[in-house]
Amino acid sequence: MIYIIDHKDSFTYNVVHQFSKFDNKIECDNFDKINSVKLNKADVIVFSPGPGSPKDYPLSAKIYKKFKSKKKIIGICLGFQQILFNEGGKIIEQNKIYHGFQSLIQVTSKKSLFDKNKIFKVGRYHSLKLKEPFISKNFEITMRCKISNVAMAIENRVDQIYGFQFHPESFLTENGNLLIKKILSA
Amino acid sequence: MKKNYYLDKLYNSKKPFIIYKVSGGYDLYTDFSEKFFLNKNNVNSFFNKINNIKNKNKFLNLYVGFFGYEILCHLNNVRVPKQKNLNFPKSIFYKPETKIQIRKKISIKSSYKNYDQLFRKKNFNHNKILSPFKINIGIDKYRKIFNRFSKRIKEGKTYQIKICTKYKNKSLINPVNLFWKLMKTNSAPESFMIRDKNYSIVSCSPETLIEKKGNKIKTKPIAGTLRKTYKTNMRNALSFFKNNIKETKEHNMIVDMERSDLSKICIPGTVKLSKTKYVEEYRHLYHYVTRIDGMIKKDISIKDIIVAMMPGGSVIGCPKISTMNLLNFQEKESRNIFTGSFGFIKFNGDMRFNIIIRSILNYKNISEISVASGVVIDSTAAHEFKENYIKAKSLIDLYK
Repeated sequence: MIYIIDHKDSFTYNVVHQFSKFDNKIECDNFDKINSVKLNKADVIVFSPGPGSPKDYPLSAKIYKKFKSKKKIIGICLGFQQILFNEGGKIIEQNKIYHGFQSLIQVTSKKSLFDKNKIFKVGRYHSLKLKEPFISKNFEITMRCKISNVAMAIENRVDQIYGFQFHPESFLTENGNLLIKKILSA
Repeated sequence: MKKNYYLDKLYNSKKPFIIYKVSGGYDLYTDFSEKFFLNKNNVNSFFNKINNIKNKNKFLNLYVGFFGYEILCHLNNVRVPKQKNLNFPKSIFYKPETKIQIRKKISIKSSYKNYDQLFRKKNFNHNKILSPFKINIGIDKYRKIFNRFSKRIKEGKTYQIKICTKYKNKSLINPVNLFWKLMKTNSAPESFMIRDKNYSIVSCSPETLIEKKGNKIKTKPIAGTLRKTYKTNMRNALSFFKNNIKETKEHNMIVDMERSDLSKICIPGTVKLSKTKYVEEYRHLYHYVTRIDGMIKKDISIKDIIVAMMPGGSVIGCPKISTMNLLNFQEKESRNIFTGSFGFIKFNGDMRFNIIIRSILNYKNISEISVASGVVIDSTAAHEFKENYIKAKSLIDLYK
């Protein structure tokens, strides 16, 4: 079962439908109405996109810390930033804002599940970004914006933690389904 | 419009009625046998009432009316602080007994045999302006609000937000006259009017929010408007939208948001963009439109559909709930009908609803025209302020 934690976003149900392609048991609740039975039962926890910054969601931070390396964890947009924030990363405002923006990104690490150097189009909705350098045990930045070089994906294959700054579920993202499929079967 | 004895008598009477644009003409509903004033305390029992109706296929099996913005906030559990308001009803629905199809030919169907005798005394108002239109937020104040929300966007609290401004005057209006005058220049696909005893609404809304038949549902968000000139045509309108980064980003965001709203109530895998980023042509402008379709899950109620889809995202901003919270604490005056929805619910659960924009509400001899445009990072306060005026102007001009 996959448990999707919604941060009251307007894209979360696109995430739900995308994950439904690969698992017939998906549950989704608001971050402030978490059901602990579902949470304990889940094989995968997904932190959804949402407004604001990771520090606004201490409840989600608690869940992350509790289940890190016990369950597979996937974060999208805000969820990606939540993972980084809980691993000691700093999330800061960027000058250029990407709301509804389609841009090219590239797989930059050979430690990625995905083929190094592959370039593809993705949909982005973020005003905040990861401040670098970011160093944390077992975490690897695996994709970057082709133009600005901003971190677009992290993978921690030891603890089975994955995150995307862009939105795999957006209609602007090429091969979004493939990304999720590969991570779920990893 | 063609002369018709019955319609002439109706327009000149005091009888309440509603007109809704359909493809190829208009449907007019009248002889209301029931009228519901909905508020947060009774809206659920209204939905239950529809569910419990046994004879679903009776003649004129529908309620027609509107949800104002505030009741939609309530249905979404979003708080609205105390605002200046006219005490205008939050939502009204009517059960019609007579329907007139205004097409090339006019046909009348009624559950009353003597429908053509049911007129109360004559009433005819000429339009009369008692004070000129005034705006409730001037450019300096607008700029302050704009800058405040630009900051919220940088912080990621909202991705886009639409601020409402209002133009108001004191006036007596003849809504029938205004409506047909408006339809001559802009018979937008979701146009409608309501004339009741103590209020009227005249609208040329272009935007379909919900069209549901059986388990099929579709929505048609609009994001992007281009004014016509002698140089523009469908082709260069499309390339204008495609090459304009601001319009493209706004449109993308609305499409993903509406996909997600539909996904709340639809079977996984059925939500599809059936027509992506195309141009619709109107008399004075072009719109950038996407059509999204889906198949509704079993056990989804009328209320579930309304809560998932309303208020329409394209007129609020994104993400919807947090942006509504920001809006409600900013706006000091009630939106009333603006960014609510007008339409009908059939007793079998089918429905059609628009988004109430480009509308005049006349109540207590005050006409108000509300407009909104988006704060996004690539825009400026001066540009959006002007944009608001352009949107209101075609309605303000009706009073000339």
